[in-house]
Amino acid sequence: MNRLLRILFMCLCLCPALALSPRAARAADLAVIVSARSPVMTLRADQIADIFLSQTNRFPNGSEVVPIDQDLGSPLRNEFYSKVTQRTPALVKAHWARLIFTGRGQPPAEVAGNDAMRKMIADNPGMIGYVERSALDASVRAVLIVR
Amino acid sequence: MSQIPAARSVASTAVLLCLLAWPHGHAKAQMKSAITGFGTLAAVHSTQDQGDYTVNPNSPGQAGHSKAWAFDVDSRAGAQLDVQFDKRWSAVVQVTQEKSVENSYKTYLTWANVKFQATPELSLRAGRIALPLFLAADYRKVGYALPWLRAPVELYSLIPIANSDGVDASYRWQSGQVKHETTLSLGRATARLNKDVTGKARNIVGLTESATAGALTLRFTAAQTLLAVPGAEALFDGLRAFGAPGEALAQRYDLAKRHVRVFSAGFNYDPGDWFVTGESGRINTGSILGDQTASYLSTGRRFGNVAPYVTYARLVANLPTWTAGLPLDGLPPEAAAMAGFLNDTLNFQLRQIGVQDTASVGVRWDVAPNIALKAQLDRVRPRGGSIGTLINVQPGFRSGQGFNVISLGMDVVF
Repeated sequence: MNRLLRILFMCLCLCPALALSPRAARAADLAVIVSARSPVMTLRADQIADIFLSQTNRFPNGSEVVPIDQDLGSPLRNEFYSKVTQRTPALVKAHWARLIFTGRGQPPAEVAGNDAMRKMIADNPGMIGYVERSALDASVRAVLIVR
Repeated sequence: MSQIPAARSVASTAVLLCLLAWPHGHAKAQMKSAITGFGTLAAVHSTQDQGDYTVNPNSPGQAGHSKAWAFDVDSRAGAQLDVQFDKRWSAVVQVTQEKSVENSYKTYLTWANVKFQATPELSLRAGRIALPLFLAADYRKVGYALPWLRAPVELYSLIPIANSDGVDASYRWQSGQVKHETTLSLGRATARLNKDVTGKARNIVGLTESATAGALTLRFTAAQTLLAVPGAEALFDGLRAFGAPGEALAQRYDLAKRHVRVFSAGFNYDPGDWFVTGESGRINTGSILGDQTASYLSTGRRFGNVAPYVTYARLVANLPTWTAGLPLDGLPPEAAAMAGFLNDTLNFQLRQIGVQDTASVGVRWDVAPNIALKAQLDRVRPRGGSIGTLINVQPGFRSGQGFNVISLGMDVVF
């Protein structure tokens, strides 16, 4: 009986740990970026979340904005959504399922990797994306650093 | 629900796709298209063997009386084509494969509309469009989008129309930190009320306002339609033949042509790690089809990929589900027999107006990026002499007795 209780206790302790383990897999700083030619200087996390979840399609200054995602399943993308929108990949997917299957929207276009993202954002002042902090250069401006 | 048989829907879908794609296909380099899909496979067992548990009478499930384990209560599949012609114009076509009132699986044309994004704030759509009567009304069939195995049946089984053929306009606006979206819908639809009754809903006017501040979303809807349901003339003409008392009953219950009014208010608070959501909706048909209010409150917590939840839902009738009917006193025997028959018919129909409550516990487990497994246990109790939300009810059914429903399902999106 005692042994059974101990096993049960171990399971209870392990379950949340197992469930949470994917979150702990990575912790590099990431930078939310716009083109260096954009007038947008800084944004709050909730403003960025609204843009990426299609709650708004304008920057706070009123100009139109198009968000760009890293590839589906990339660790940087999961970290971005986890820290900026407080949503797991599954929750983000469920959010988009609600918009897509009611004909109200499509998720952001995707690019693969920091270099492609930085180039895309640098060339398009109406876009917003995110890269690892170490990938920043003068062609883009970080509007939020996420640690 | 507005529904077309498979062949016609597939043909019209194909024609529409050609029309939409052809003039733009070569002209616009910007054109993008996406094909997506969703599906649910679920097995349902009910301990009530004197009736069948179903999600909606117009997609009849067979759990309980007809089958020990039924796969047709929640299982369905859908596919969608989205075409973005340019920055302003886009189109969407969705077909779903689900249980029909004829008791077989059929393909339905769920949406087929063209959208014009006039400004980033204002969008206009025309064609077959979602009618967002309740919070989850327009995506309740996409199991993956729901935290539960299914949207609470007390409220969502009341929806006779999921889409309308017409136009809508959505406008986004902001007041301080609060983001708003206001939608006005106009249209018409065929309302498949159950196996035997099909109505026509005309002059549908719906206004939906949703307000979001941080993790909190509030939503209000008011809608009205002129619903015409043929087929009950014999009953109401029969009642009218009995003079003033009969006239009064026909006036109260006739459904030949009535204004149906829908009001709903809902909220959702979802900061990420947990959620609480609730909603209350009233559908008043102004007829023997009922005047019902349904409400639910649900909360859940997310432990990584595992999200358990509890829900309590309640459906009440805002009119008596029994009537004394025509007075029999002093009638000659033949007339009394006729009046008695009409009274029984009225009361049989009134008994179909569901009164019920359900307490549910369940869990969602996101096993893979596109797959969610769900299990749900419901304690369901039809009350007030009614059959609740059951269908195919047998003579041995007793209202007021609770029963259990066990559901296991898998939702996918791709």
